[in-house]
Amino acid sequence: MFGYVSCLPETKLVAKFVEELRNERLMGTRCRMCGAKYLPPRAHCRCGSADVEWFEASREGKILTYTLVGFLPQSMSKHAPYIVAIAELKDGSRLLAQLTDVTLTTLRVGMPVQVVCRSVSTNRIVYEFKPIKPICARKEA
Amino acid sequence: MTEKVGIVGIGHAKFGKRTDATLRELAHEAVTPALEDAGVDMKDIDASVVGVACEDFAAQVSPAVLIHDYVGMRDKPVFRVEAACATGSAAVRTAWALIKSGLAEVVLVVGAETMTHLGTPGATEVIARAGDTRWEYPFGITFPGFYALMAMAHMHEYGTTKEQLSMVSVKNHMYGAMNPYAHVQKKITLEEAMKSVVICHPLNLYDCCLISDGAAAAVLASEEKAKRISDTPVWLAGLGAASDTMMISERKNLTELKATKTAAERAYRMAGITPNNVDVAVVHDCFTIAEIIAYEDLGFCKKGEGGNFIEEGQSYIGGKIPINADGGLKSKGHPLGATGVSMTVEITKQLRGEAGKRQVAGAEIGLSHNVGEAGQYCFVHVYSR
Repeated sequence: MFGYVSCLPETKLVAKFVEELRNERLMGTRCRMCGAKYLPPRAHCRCGSADVEWFEASREGKILTYTLVGFLPQSMSKHAPYIVAIAELKDGSRLLAQLTDVTLTTLRVGMPVQVVCRSVSTNRIVYEFKPIKPICARKEA
Repeated sequence: MTEKVGIVGIGHAKFGKRTDATLRELAHEAVTPALEDAGVDMKDIDASVVGVACEDFAAQVSPAVLIHDYVGMRDKPVFRVEAACATGSAAVRTAWALIKSGLAEVVLVVGAETMTHLGTPGATEVIARAGDTRWEYPFGITFPGFYALMAMAHMHEYGTTKEQLSMVSVKNHMYGAMNPYAHVQKKITLEEAMKSVVICHPLNLYDCCLISDGAAAAVLASEEKAKRISDTPVWLAGLGAASDTMMISERKNLTELKATKTAAERAYRMAGITPNNVDVAVVHDCFTIAEIIAYEDLGFCKKGEGGNFIEEGQSYIGGKIPINADGGLKSKGHPLGATGVSMTVEITKQLRGEAGKRQVAGAEIGLSHNVGEAGQYCFVHVYSR
């Protein structure tokens, strides 16, 4: 299952995405008709085509913005407050995920991060951002 | 076919934690004064458009029929519309279209929502599921969280400060304290706003709108009917609407709401005006950063200068353009389906000169700006006397 919480069935698309993610491969889809790329993946392109193929996306990028979610929704009430960020990856696609191994004082916009796989429980998995070089991060202005 | 569509009656329920009334009773509390204000009764109304954003809040599937029947519309046509937090403005737009098409001449618009019964964690959870449930909701992101992401980006890009965010809250609470229909009628100080508990860094409690129960109603009519019914019709002079990507992370610019810019351009073009012509506005301040971004996206100031705009007091009565002189979502409250209709009520009052202590003297052209979710929907209406 994908996510800390979810309310949707696991489709073929998500099952494949999760299987690859377990092997530290971040997979998106590309439309064979118009070439549009999607990360996270989609089964259908916005051009209307259902003819999409998988590609392996870059797992490195930088933080565009972030927040510390201090007031949690009911479904996350067992968690401690967490940081959620949006990062731009090297191929230009953007993802939203939690960011770990940093604090608000060490974190800043532009920080280089890697997308890694995280097991939330025996059957739950997500991707998350981790700083690539937390100690040298401040050199990356 | 009618040239213009006018607002001829308005009504507003008290917003707040309304455990004394159910959804249908709140709707009634808004509809009765709207009909009295218009001087019409149910037999004069051709159809109703009901805006309720969410079944989970209503605790009722098909809430439109419930309200429509309760207020006595009987066998007349009813539509329910939904556009998340912009549901009420979508309802006004739909009523305009019904009248313009000739399907109806006089339409009752009702917006209503009951939210407080779920408690804050429960309401936060329901609203979180308005985010993309496959790829964003599963990370525990909330709506304060989405706007916090925009706030952080805006602060980083333009140097907008935490203090400027709080200044929006101080202004809206000041006006909310003068609005008898507002949820929280209490002035706050800058220090109180700055020191309140963190909800989603950098947004704290006073940067976030209220979770409220409430309802608002308006009677809209064709030009011919409006002139017959009312001596002081307020005309819908321009309407603009737009949408944006479901996933926030797909957006190229996190310091603006593209849907606002597009909807505003469309509304200004239809009304034949520029932002400089607007005398009074209500904008979607679900979070303080949203009001600052709205100043910019609606063209009231340049991109990146929204923080200075509030700091200079330009959005107070007496400034360049008074904004949210009804208290905004921040202080008046934000019962989702009611909010857009409440905005129409406020601008109608302002253009009639009936806003009392909050009146913007001589206002001729008004604007309402209502955002659904985090910019997935946007509706801008321009009003004239």
